[in-house]
Amino acid sequence: MDRQSADLVMVFKTNIRTEGDVHCVSGMLNAQQHITEWSVDTEDVDCVLRVLSCKVQCHDVIKLVGLHGYECTELEY
Amino acid sequence: MRTRDLVKEELVRQKTVELVVEEGLDNFSVNKLAKTCGISVATLYIYYKDKDDLIVKVAIEEAKKSSARMVKGLDPELSFAEGLKKQWKNRIKEMKDFPEVVNFFEQVRASKYQEKVFPVFEDALRDKLGKFWTNAIKRGELAEMPVEVYWSIAFAPLYNLIRFHREGRSLANKPFKMTEAVLWQTFDLAVKALKK
Repeated sequence: MDRQSADLVMVFKTNIRTEGDVHCVSGMLNAQQHITEWSVDTEDVDCVLRVLSCKVQCHDVIKLVGLHGYECTELEY
Repeated sequence: MRTRDLVKEELVRQKTVELVVEEGLDNFSVNKLAKTCGISVATLYIYYKDKDDLIVKVAIEEAKKSSARMVKGLDPELSFAEGLKKQWKNRIKEMKDFPEVVNFFEQVRASKYQEKVFPVFEDALRDKLGKFWTNAIKRGELAEMPVEVYWSIAFAPLYNLIRFHREGRSLANKPFKMTEAVLWQTFDLAVKALKK
């Protein structure tokens, strides 16, 4: 899906630390049709999860990631 | 909607170069960069997906600026010797004025980012340098030769002198400092070797 101009960038601190962890959450994040793009920077100390969407809200992402047993808190700008 | 802050973007590029030079590409992280810039981690992630994306984007911007400086004032109609001299001067100026950028690109060249970044230099330089080269051949000043042969004679001697100068030593540990006389003697010999 291409990035939409109305998309908001949401940024979270997580403990999605390894490629294996990324694999664990990828199925559920890919399945969200309103998420345009997502990525995890496993090289960063905060294992930052970045989500682009025009409909999904921060608390939705936190809940989804939490359901898979990972910590996820919103990073303040 | 958050607006783009151009001053901050410039600061991010400058600090990325500094951090990579100081700590190496492996030790660089978006978190460290945010602290150095005094901005939040989240702000950086608005513009960049991750560390790789940030380094590639910053390096591409720096490559565009650096290549523009390298061909600054180079008129493709200049005689071969004059045109090559201008390029030597630009390259020396780049090393003197932007040593950190030069250092940064040395690290990028030896990394996985190389293939995404170096084509930017080639694209930016191809037009002007290509014209200059073709003109010199057309005028009969320069023999036709593979580009690798050309580069090895036209620029490698300069970079070797710079290496000696930076290390402060030449062969057999002999102290060395590049002087104008040594520089332009080398240049004259390179031109002599290349000219038809």
